[in-house]
Amino acid sequence: MKRGQLLLRVLLKAAWVRKDRAFTAVVSVAVVATIATAALTIYSDLEGKLSREFRGFGANVVVTKNSGALAPGELAEVRKIVGSNGEIVPVGYAIATETTSQARIVVGGADIDKLRELNVSWSVSNTGHGSALVGARVDEAITHGSDLQLSFGKTSATIKPAGFFHSGSDDDSRVYIPLEDFVRLTGIQPNTALVRIEGKPRQIQDAVSQLGAALPGVEVKPVRQITQAQTAVVGKTRSVVLASSAAVVVLIMLCMVATFTGSVLERRKDFAVMKALGASNRTVNFLFASEAALLALAGAAAGYLLGCVIAFWIGKANFDAAILPQPMLLLPVLLGSVALALIASTAPLRLLQQIQPAGILRGE
Amino acid sequence: MFLRLLFESFRRQKRRKSVALLAIALGMSIATAMIAVGNDIGDKINQELRSLGANLVITPIEDTLDVNIGGVNLKPASEGAAIPEQDLIKMKGIFWGHNIKGYAPFLSDERKIQTRSGEVNAELIGTYFAQPLHHGTEEFSTGVRSVNPWWKVEGEWPQDYGDWPAQLVPDVLAGSTLARQAGLNIGDQIQVSGRKLRISGILDTGSAEDQAIVAPLHIVQAILGQPNAVQRVSVSALTKPEDAFARKDPDKLSPSVRERWYCSPYANSIAYQLRQALPNVRVEQVRPVEQNQGKVLSRVTGLMLLLSLAALLAAALAVSAAMAATILERRQEVGLMKSLGAGNSAVASLFLTEAAFLAIAGGLIGFLAGAVLAHRIGQSIFGSAIVVHPVVLAVVLFGAVLVTFLGSAGAVRKAMQFDPAVVLRGDA
Repeated sequence: MKRGQLLLRVLLKAAWVRKDRAFTAVVSVAVVATIATAALTIYSDLEGKLSREFRGFGANVVVTKNSGALAPGELAEVRKIVGSNGEIVPVGYAIATETTSQARIVVGGADIDKLRELNVSWSVSNTGHGSALVGARVDEAITHGSDLQLSFGKTSATIKPAGFFHSGSDDDSRVYIPLEDFVRLTGIQPNTALVRIEGKPRQIQDAVSQLGAALPGVEVKPVRQITQAQTAVVGKTRSVVLASSAAVVVLIMLCMVATFTGSVLERRKDFAVMKALGASNRTVNFLFASEAALLALAGAAAGYLLGCVIAFWIGKANFDAAILPQPMLLLPVLLGSVALALIASTAPLRLLQQIQPAGILRGE
Repeated sequence: MFLRLLFESFRRQKRRKSVALLAIALGMSIATAMIAVGNDIGDKINQELRSLGANLVITPIEDTLDVNIGGVNLKPASEGAAIPEQDLIKMKGIFWGHNIKGYAPFLSDERKIQTRSGEVNAELIGTYFAQPLHHGTEEFSTGVRSVNPWWKVEGEWPQDYGDWPAQLVPDVLAGSTLARQAGLNIGDQIQVSGRKLRISGILDTGSAEDQAIVAPLHIVQAILGQPNAVQRVSVSALTKPEDAFARKDPDKLSPSVRERWYCSPYANSIAYQLRQALPNVRVEQVRPVEQNQGKVLSRVTGLMLLLSLAALLAAALAVSAAMAATILERRQEVGLMKSLGAGNSAVASLFLTEAAFLAIAGGLIGFLAGAVLAHRIGQSIFGSAIVVHPVVLAVVLFGAVLVTFLGSAGAVRKAMQFDPAVVLRGDA
């Protein structure tokens, strides 16, 4: 029998004969690997997942031309920087007079569907059959659910509402009509674009500075309360997840080391028998280390798989979007577990080496 | 006899017992820390979400429409209705008054501003910065500094004074855009409607206020000749995320259900209570803020909950494995006891009592360590402590006993299945 074969046989037999001991060792390594994999996988994807939750806040950047209208070229530039994920809604504003009450109303011209998509938080009642969106205060004060007669100086029109909305902002005092109608009635082209940039806080910041640099004569203003809240919430949540998972991983690791060390110390008789039969310290060390490494490898592989499943499931359950496994974590998890197991099993061996085999065998 | 066995077992197997104790203590400190952090994260993130600003806005019901384009207000202050400033304190008296974290009233109008170099038109906005107020015995201060935390001031924030002595020049803030265009600097004096004002700081908000002069409310009321008047109030309230129940019309609910609705801190029920407290006002949710902060909050708390669950499970497994390992190693002891005539129940009760002692001691140590850990996490990330509720101690102790029993029970049963003779010979 070759040396390698013998080693393999000793290792497998050791695990097989003491199945329960091998099993507890594998479980304790697997638990560490699982929790480490799950926490790191979630952490690596957290910024993106959490940032997505800020889409509902509406526009996070407002682009305004200082004088005149936004040129198609400028809008194309905005689109290029914002990317296909973001939303861009060009808006023009004018003041109209309601003909019966003589009240002044701010009228906005925009693509109504896109405007609603951008402001998902508005509560809109789709009660009308027209094309305009009427703010709640306008409806309350003037229209009461009916059409609106507006005069824009030279032109005038009957505005038929498609719905009425509550926003809690100045928009409640406004009426939004389709952009082409707005341009036809007022002759004004949009000078403002409401922009929602998607991404992590840093990506948004980068896009804002790119927009500022690419568009001279255009004011680019981030809606600071939104970007600031996003940065704070995303950053602090990441820190909490990192800190608590680090604590958990370290503590469970200690727990595992304690279990492992204990199980090696329990084998002092095996150790003594081997030495009594003529094994050198090196051979015994090697045997114990390979056994530990083998068990740790099995535990870590199982733990990695389970950790990926847990991260995937947490993503699905909490963010409605899966958190995908990170293959690059596999190697560190495997190596880390093996290294830990080696440390945990060799430290007690040192202790045992100082004792005479005969003493151990006698039960001292 | 039993007690002596127990005592000797602890005395003679110090190393083995301390390993088990360490494992339990570590597992339970994880449990304590994760429960504490998971439990408190909602409040902490809610505090962070305060930087989104007010989530309710109050306007007079008789008010005319706002005429506001590009941050420029085109509606004169004399037009439209006002809310009496002295009524605002009633907000603190509603059922959910403690959830009103702050409010800031606003009164504004366009005025000619005389600077050293000439005259510009700009909006004059009056508000509270950090106005000291009291409701009953409660002393607090409120204003834009807490309600709009994204307002940045270079220089000094002005003071809010109830009655400004006419001979003193009040401090105000100049918006950053206005300051740049009109060449205003910190320390400059300006004049509005014959009243001298001193610029104590430059305000940067990223929105309409950058083009305005922002002054203490009472100064603006005096300049505009509208004492006690407020056009709009931004309210920052701690609310519960909206659900289907929150959207119900309270006037159509049965009295008991209505009571439950009224006593839930939904934005809708707080708005309802504000409308009852203040006559003739409209209270509207700032929908982007109110509708989304609950969602963000539930995502973060949900994540922490799931992570805590995973960590608790891992801790339980680790502790069980450690317990199982320590007992499996003692099968010779089991064999010896059985060969001397001990019944299975006697052996099991000895082992489980040992486990219970270990669990309670480990649970206590773990609880203390976990509390310290949670405290540290809270301090370093949020700058405020995470306090561990005493109830957690009971939960942790119970969990520790449960987990050690589960870990021990299987191993004890396994150890008892062997024939004592075989075990003692060392063949099993």
